Amino acid sequence: MKITRRQFLKLTGVTAFATIGIFKLEAIQAKAEELRLRIRYAKQTTTICPYCAVGCGEIVSVSNGKVINIEGDPDHPINEGSLCSKGSALYQVANNDLRLTKVKYRAPGSAYWEEKSWNWAIDRISSRIKETRDAALSDGRKVNRIDSLAAIGGAALDNEECYLYSKFMRALGVVYIEHQARI
Amino acid sequence: MMTEVSMLIDVAKCIGCRGCQVACKQWNQRPAEKTKFTGTYQNPPRLSANTWTLIQFIEPEDYDENPRWLFRKQQCHHCVDAPCEQVCPTGAIKKLENGIVYINQSICTGCKYCVEVCPFDIPQFDRASGTVRKCWMCLDRVKNGLEPACATTCPTGAVSFGSRTGMLAVARERQNILEKQGFSTRIYGKDELGGQHVMYLLPEKASIYGLPEAPRKPTEKIFWRWLLGVIPGMAILVAIFAYLFKQRSASDTAASDAKSGGE
Repeated sequence: MKITRRQFLKLTGVTAFATIGIFKLEAIQAKAEELRLRIRYAKQTTTICPYCAVGCGEIVSVSNGKVINIEGDPDHPINEGSLCSKGSALYQVANNDLRLTKVKYRAPGSAYWEEKSWNWAIDRISSRIKETRDAALSDGRKVNRIDSLAAIGGAALDNEECYLYSKFMRALGVVYIEHQARI
Repeated sequence: MMTEVSMLIDVAKCIGCRGCQVACKQWNQRPAEKTKFTGTYQNPPRLSANTWTLIQFIEPEDYDENPRWLFRKQQCHHCVDAPCEQVCPTGAIKKLENGIVYINQSICTGCKYCVEVCPFDIPQFDRASGTVRKCWMCLDRVKNGLEPACATTCPTGAVSFGSRTGMLAVARERQNILEKQGFSTRIYGKDELGGQHVMYLLPEKASIYGLPEAPRKPTEKIFWRWLLGVIPGMAILVAIFAYLFKQRSASDTAASDAKSGGE
């Protein structure tokens, strides 16, 4: 290929301007992109941290039905926006690949977990509850409590879930309402 | 003109809960790291491209005589006279008006000059993206009127955020309290490297906390690096020119030869 001096200069100039143009544009775009708040269009609701008894307030940002951010609520009188490491990690309770999404059942004496449907599980649980309650209430005396059932709550239940849980258990007459973290 | 923002880390107030570490990961969407227990609560063991802040758990050398357990939040200091910004060949590292030093990921080429030049070992190379990452003081939050994630989450107020003058005033006030209790304190970052936008209130010597007593820019290293870059660059340019002109003169002589042959 034969390159004259004029052609060489032209090419150099075009290449240099093109390079500058590409990089500058990219830089400006990137800057504008990054400086918008990630949660700007998210719907924000408040909740209470499920973990310990302090009861810190948190703001949950939801976008397209997915939790995208959870952080301390600055208006909450208890924590005023601050959170410990567990409270800060609440995001991964909602978004976690390790989370169980199907019912797992291990039969008595079995060493394996098998997958079951929700309907099967709910039927089974309710029939076992009925059995246990009927057996305990069958001695002829009138009582308002069941000694043969116990409830263990989970560490990731929030305020409202705990309310529903204890209400349900009290309705059944369960006395031993416990929390997993105390055992 | 934007006011200079600043972060004050009052290490005497830190309880080592690591809420800041988690909040940083959560906001900046950095993945967790798989680690092993190494005999200390410091976890992960060091900063990485996905861990921009880390609480160091320190048991000093004279622990037996004077037992104490110290915590320091390690993160980018956002220096005024930032060595990383000065060596960055592509201009990806920018010092902004409000004092934040930040790496533009779309320009960074991952040359790692900043990794080598930082006196605090802050910037970390990301193998996955081929760029260098570090704390950006949650620039998106700051620009939108929020505090950085770590300052928001700190339960004891060890990490506070505000204007630089305001933070200096808070630091001096706390200094008075600590001095009355018999500590000899130092505001680390008030003047170091032209002043830093992350200041530490240290009740002990800086070296105990793993900080250089007098941080310096390793300028000589930069010069040799620069020279090593320039010399091969010049050589390549000279080679290209030499090749082009040689080819041209060769074709010229060939053309004139053909002409003379035809006559």
